[in-house]
Amino acid sequence: MIANHPVDKADALVVGAGIAGLQAALDLADQGFQVVIAERQPSIGGHMINLSKVFPTLDCASCITTPRMASASHHPNIRVFTYTEVEAIRPVGDRFEATLTRKPRHIDEDRCIGCKRCEEACTVYLPDEYEHGLGAKKAVSIPFTNAIPQYPVLDMDECFLCGGCARACPTDAIDYLQQPETFRLEAGAVILATGYDMTPMDAKSQYGGGRLPNVISPWQAERLLAPHGPYGGVLRPSDGKVPDSIAFVQCAGSRDLSLGVPYCSRVCCMYAIKQAMLLSGSLPIADITIYYMDIRAFGKGYEQFYLNAKAMGIEFVKAKVARITEDEDHNPIVRIERQEADAAPEEVRHDLVILSLGMVPAWVPDRDGIVPLQTGSDRFLLSPKPRVSPTLTSLPGVFACGAATGPKDIVDSIVEAGAAAMQAAAHLQRTLAGAVR
Amino acid sequence: MSETTSGSPSPGTPSREEIRVGVYVCHCGGNISDVVDVAKVVEEVGRHPSVEVSKHFPFLCSDPGQQLILEDIRRNGVNRVVVSACSPFLHETTFRKALQRAGLNPYLYEHVNVREQVSWVHKAKRESATEKAIRLTLAGVEKVARQDPLEAIRVQAEPHVVVIGAGIAGMRAAVSAARRGLRVTLIEKSDRTGGRLNELATLYPDNESARAVVDDLTQMVVGDGNIDLCLNSRLTMVDGYVGSFTVGFETRGPEGPILRQVRAGAIILATGFRHYEPFEGELGYGQSPDVMTLPEFNRALESTPPGDLPTFGGRRVRHVAFVHCVGSRQIEGVHRPQPDGRVNDYCSRVCCTAALHSIHRLMDKHPGVRVFDVYRDIRTYGRGHEDLYEKASKRGVLFFRHTEENQPTVELQASQNGHPPHRIRVRDVLTWNEEVEIPVDLVVLATGMMPSDIGGIVQTMKLPVGSDRFLQEVHPKLRPVEVANNGVFLAGTCQGPMDAVEAVAAGEAAAVKASILLSKGVIEMDPFVARVREERCDGCALCLNECEYRGALAMAESADGRKVARVNPALCAGCGACAAVCEPRAIEVAGWSLDQFDAMVDALVSR
Repeated sequence: MIANHPVDKADALVVGAGIAGLQAALDLADQGFQVVIAERQPSIGGHMINLSKVFPTLDCASCITTPRMASASHHPNIRVFTYTEVEAIRPVGDRFEATLTRKPRHIDEDRCIGCKRCEEACTVYLPDEYEHGLGAKKAVSIPFTNAIPQYPVLDMDECFLCGGCARACPTDAIDYLQQPETFRLEAGAVILATGYDMTPMDAKSQYGGGRLPNVISPWQAERLLAPHGPYGGVLRPSDGKVPDSIAFVQCAGSRDLSLGVPYCSRVCCMYAIKQAMLLSGSLPIADITIYYMDIRAFGKGYEQFYLNAKAMGIEFVKAKVARITEDEDHNPIVRIERQEADAAPEEVRHDLVILSLGMVPAWVPDRDGIVPLQTGSDRFLLSPKPRVSPTLTSLPGVFACGAATGPKDIVDSIVEAGAAAMQAAAHLQRTLAGAVR
Repeated sequence: MSETTSGSPSPGTPSREEIRVGVYVCHCGGNISDVVDVAKVVEEVGRHPSVEVSKHFPFLCSDPGQQLILEDIRRNGVNRVVVSACSPFLHETTFRKALQRAGLNPYLYEHVNVREQVSWVHKAKRESATEKAIRLTLAGVEKVARQDPLEAIRVQAEPHVVVIGAGIAGMRAAVSAARRGLRVTLIEKSDRTGGRLNELATLYPDNESARAVVDDLTQMVVGDGNIDLCLNSRLTMVDGYVGSFTVGFETRGPEGPILRQVRAGAIILATGFRHYEPFEGELGYGQSPDVMTLPEFNRALESTPPGDLPTFGGRRVRHVAFVHCVGSRQIEGVHRPQPDGRVNDYCSRVCCTAALHSIHRLMDKHPGVRVFDVYRDIRTYGRGHEDLYEKASKRGVLFFRHTEENQPTVELQASQNGHPPHRIRVRDVLTWNEEVEIPVDLVVLATGMMPSDIGGIVQTMKLPVGSDRFLQEVHPKLRPVEVANNGVFLAGTCQGPMDAVEAVAAGEAAAVKASILLSKGVIEMDPFVARVREERCDGCALCLNECEYRGALAMAESADGRKVARVNPALCAGCGACAAVCEPRAIEVAGWSLDQFDAMVDALVSR
């Protein structure tokens, strides 16, 4: 259930409510363990709820994420704290003491009924981070349609203090003076499902990300493709034109020592192929090109998905992209060096370019504190025994899963979440039995 | 039979209170409402006399959407619910649970699919799509109006798991389940644990000893009193149902085979993979000892005498080529199919990194060797994998890349005074599609993975198999370790190619599902099984001939001494074959009665 009041004890604390965290929490709670989920965003669902569709099934992401979100938020053995930061996790004997801070939504959650009248009354428009800047939201707003919980967040940094929301609220739930609330939680085990961030758009400045309006991130592409996306269709940002020629630049944030990301991010080939297929579905006459080094369609059913994309007419070009500029109409010009032909570098003009960004860990122990754990040179969490217990961390009783242990797609995250829940359950069984003796 | 109860009330007694149906049409955020005029559906269906409320909403599966339904049940007297939305596969359970939370019987619910069956397939025809959605929804109303409350079937759960296969995934699954207090029978057909890992000396990317991993897991298995490890054993039969399977197996012993049976609540399959075997002549395989598969090469490398250059089969080797994607990513019409007529069109996931790992081991042991790598795409996707690729380039491994259209060929020749005798021809993308001829002493084929030969188990247990011949999970994204068979789970490479870390994680994930299933002692199942109205049954037993599920249907004596059909709800699959042959309509599937079908058909055609 969605918890509005601090609790002091749980069997397990799950940090992060993306698909890995939700699955780990459900797999523990379904065995009868009491679980607390802490999520720093105002809604659970993580990155997955933000996707249009998923590869290789092309299921609509909302449709398959919301059941997990709803199951977790209604589970009698799960309490969910959203908009909550984990400040510290400290081992105390066999157990852990976590310090959590609930950030102020400036909404009294006991009173709010999610009617959205505050949102309607608000006159301040801000870029909508859920739409990755492509749409607008109000300064007080529920993060997105199928967010859980359905409480709005009031952004006090942007609020004009006009009082409109407070007047519109039928239950007097607006609280301009709400303060952060810190509480302690004792738990027998911790599962870290802290997920990933994408590499920054402007990390490779020669690609023009963040500077050229029609060079967009894969997240923006997801939102353009979502049926409930910001424009109700695929339009390019600079002028709202329907793009006829779209290119993907692979490895725009991975396999690149100069970015500090020498590793493969594992999902970018597949999400680019998926987006290309969806684009080709909504814009049947558009030319779609994927510039790549290696296509890594390694998962179950992925190679066939790749072959389908080729059969649909999506052009796969083995080429390195040297730089991206634009012409006076903001059409991106991609300078490529083809691998397969003895040709000089060429410049290709497209209407829209998507940079296939890579994955970096969202939480890094030596940078962000909280709990000291060992990481690999890639800064993702490391198991001391990867082939016996892949979800262990260097601290007994703390387990990790999903993108916290390296780039991973949804299905691999779900498998690992089950593995982490299994480890945590066995750990709890052992330590709880010890406590009884 | 004694341990199962079917709480379905006898169907002949409609103590129906007034039927008040709530109808809810989902936009699915535009997936439906962009094509179907949801307001019109709501309006038209709202005219039906049994419909109390009729509403549409952006995402009914979201919390506020479910809240809407809950409120109508609690406050507005709605006692039957129809949701017109996505496929029932996605959200039927979601809404059943919502009904339950509102205090309504969860089976007084009908899920109408107006997305996959309407909006997605009739994009260009808004008007007729809307009409179709109206009719389907009305049919749902008619059906649910004739629905009685049902109770879930409850089955005792035996706290015992049978794990088939003692490779690393199976061992991991067994250890994890045992640590949750479940008894485990671990059945292994060979005389040792460890499976395919026994073929390897070290594992990529960190050179961990394969032996150490196998020993570690084996000690955990042997040291756990809850695990009964049965080597030299072969599955002979599986009977029963989730919560109460009977599993028979035969153990070869010094005094001949011993047959044993165990009762188990769940079964975990960890039957692993086998290596693709190249055909005679495929890239020269079988025609020269100088062409070997990667597993053969790994074994041979263990026994080469140290030195600048290796010796394989008595011949000194200077130039070695590794060829990727042998038996993987095959193309119909180009590659020779397997006996079932299909080529292996999938990627085997591990061979790229495995080949690079072997290249490094070869070069570490024999620094004078020259290595060539012939590939289509290098798929070093995992942690530390890319590093092996990067380092191979730095060490001077020469890479040749071909396209799917231009497959490499191998030409074998007799040795000519110390020069590399064989030739690999490849049209190399990296040198502008030149045809390159590589002189080599040894060719190593990075062969892919195929599922173990488990046709017998598949048949015995009626397991679903994918087009790639691996066992087929329920949902490739969301439910990767479950199969359609209730109580059966998948661990490791029986489901698809994966490496050691991934297989072990899958083993634990399978164990957690078994633990969840068996932890409550009782398993609840949907009550959509056959039921008999004994007063109508004339004892003809035609239904018994049609029933494909052993033990699901039997003849018994009724209270008034007549011969009647009787159902074992735990074994019945609810297929309805019995209902189809029953003339007096005495046997029917709960929740899918012929009366309901009649009414649905009427609703579909009468507008």
